[in-house]
Amino acid sequence: MNRTTVPVLALLAIAALVAPSGAASKGPAAGKTVHVGVIADVTGGAGIYGTPQKNAYELANDDVKSGKIDAGGANLTFDVADAATDGAQVVNLMQKFTTDGQTVIVLGPTLSGEAFKAFPIAAKANFPVMGTSTTAEGVTAMGSSVYRDALAESQVIPTTVKRTHDKWHYKTAAIIYGDDNAFTKTDYDVFAREFKAAGVDIVDVETFHIKDTDFQAALTRIESKHPDVIAIGGLFPEATKIIQQAGKLGMKTHMVGGNGLNAPDMYSVAGPASQGTVVGAAWFSGAKYSSNLDFVKHYSAKYGKGPDQFAAQSYAAAQIVAYLVAHGATTKDEMSAALKNVRVIQTVLGPIGFDQNRDVKSSPVILSIVKDGFAYFH
Amino acid sequence: MIAQQLFNGLFLGAVYALFAVGYTLVFGVLDILNLAHAAIFTAAAFVALSLALAGMPLPLAFLVAAAVAGIIGILLDRVAFAPLRARNAGTLVPLISSIGVAIIIGAIMRGIYGVDERHFTTGGLETVPAIRLGPVTFTTVELAIFLSAVALMLVLSWVLRSTTLGRRIRAVAEDRIAAALLGVDLERTIAATFFIASSLGGAAGVLTGLEYNSVTLDMGGPIELKGLAVIILGGMGSVTGAVIGGFILGAVETLAVAYGASAWRDAIVFGVMFVLLVARPTGLFGKRALRQA
Repeated sequence: MNRTTVPVLALLAIAALVAPSGAASKGPAAGKTVHVGVIADVTGGAGIYGTPQKNAYELANDDVKSGKIDAGGANLTFDVADAATDGAQVVNLMQKFTTDGQTVIVLGPTLSGEAFKAFPIAAKANFPVMGTSTTAEGVTAMGSSVYRDALAESQVIPTTVKRTHDKWHYKTAAIIYGDDNAFTKTDYDVFAREFKAAGVDIVDVETFHIKDTDFQAALTRIESKHPDVIAIGGLFPEATKIIQQAGKLGMKTHMVGGNGLNAPDMYSVAGPASQGTVVGAAWFSGAKYSSNLDFVKHYSAKYGKGPDQFAAQSYAAAQIVAYLVAHGATTKDEMSAALKNVRVIQTVLGPIGFDQNRDVKSSPVILSIVKDGFAYFH
Repeated sequence: MIAQQLFNGLFLGAVYALFAVGYTLVFGVLDILNLAHAAIFTAAAFVALSLALAGMPLPLAFLVAAAVAGIIGILLDRVAFAPLRARNAGTLVPLISSIGVAIIIGAIMRGIYGVDERHFTTGGLETVPAIRLGPVTFTTVELAIFLSAVALMLVLSWVLRSTTLGRRIRAVAEDRIAAALLGVDLERTIAATFFIASSLGGAAGVLTGLEYNSVTLDMGGPIELKGLAVIILGGMGSVTGAVIGGFILGAVETLAVAYGASAWRDAIVFGVMFVLLVARPTGLFGKRALRQA
């Protein structure tokens, strides 16, 4: 491609982005084959997060074929590769996708820690990549070709703290977080910063490791400090056990958490103890706009259980890529140019765009766990 | 707070001890480290879960799953260890072979059950009646787990001390060739050892799944390393050592957190182990305690 082509295509992309969707079925992409690389931990320790991601891309492949997702007539496929929760494999896959000559963008990997290994490879090659679940601080700072459609903890937790503080007027807090994971460590950093900014005294900090199952010693210690609120920096498996065990110990303290707690099974696993726990998140499965209702319905029908936030953010990434492909971004360079000029795209996460740091621009939802699911926190 | 923390440590230690007893039994008899023990721990939890969800009463599902774990143990021996034993392959080759079987068991479990976390009951632990004794709270499930673990360890101790099978196991642990010369059927005794060891490991898996209402493919990972630490601390091959080591580990883990050092929990646990082992390099109960069990 010569030097003038990219800006011209970029202009075309900008023009296309303001056009109504669906108008591009006979556009510049018609008949072209476009491969998107997906790196997900379908197996291994992070399999519970990577599997819904894989499911979302499989659903997206179906929806591109059936026309539910408009890819402008392109033969667009999302090629999911299993990284098996293995950092070395993530790196190999990133090298493979960025050098195979046919992939136009890579979506994933699943974990922030993996992103810190893999994204520098893409950044060095100026190859477009998008994290869909890698919400730790610093992920998009790795390079100008690194995007993220997942709302970072640093974008979610401040609103969560503000809204809960406004309502509960708490003065003291304890934080329990996983100290061996980039995501949960970020939870701690942001909660601590926001509590301090709100004048809340942090009376205890407890840590755990990912895959721990027993939190009773830490919770017993927290209870002895009588905090008004407990912030959980954890992912679903640990968070549900923390909440269950706090309930078992008879603790009644308010609890708050971030994206890691936004999972459809939260109530059914953690039980009545989880009721009232406030969760700041990027997506609400019960949001009533039509694209989300369709997504939840079709995903549930295909897989026998509802999507979680990992699935929703992956499906949204597929929608973004399909939209750009439909508007002419069918090569790696065209995809890079088109991403720079995204304004607003309608996705299952709602209307989203990217800010100057290539982080997603959208608003967090603040939810409260209620019987059988979530509701907006008021 | 300390009373509650000691109870927390006691419940934790009981399951560690039960897991480690099976681990150390195989080592005591065969001098090999069976790294598939954690995979059997996980497999039994999944079997019990399937049976319980199919409507089988929990105590029965627990016993059936432990028996299935025992049978997997016998198969493990026939596939991974017996052919190597017949060729005098030493102690390192079986170690690798047991890792291979662990990976195969894990892959089969993933194929059958998928990667999602599974639960015995929905609705969390609050559906389980809690017992409150002054400052201490625990659930009936925790009490049942503790009592089951202790009962199983007492039964094992009785089997090893007072039954013909126990005497045979101890004889093989003492000197395999001499035992064979004296008429002990080596392969049957080893199969029985694997059945008992794997049943106990499986029982620990079911109890862990019940305690946290959570069964996952990787639930054996953390306990594998801790189990290894416990049997080294207790003295390789010593059943009594594994029991005491399990309770020490549970107590040290809990107290490390109780005194405000959750970030240093594992460093403290392994630091304490290190100090104990420097003081007693053969572990608390020496290397060959099984034969005197």
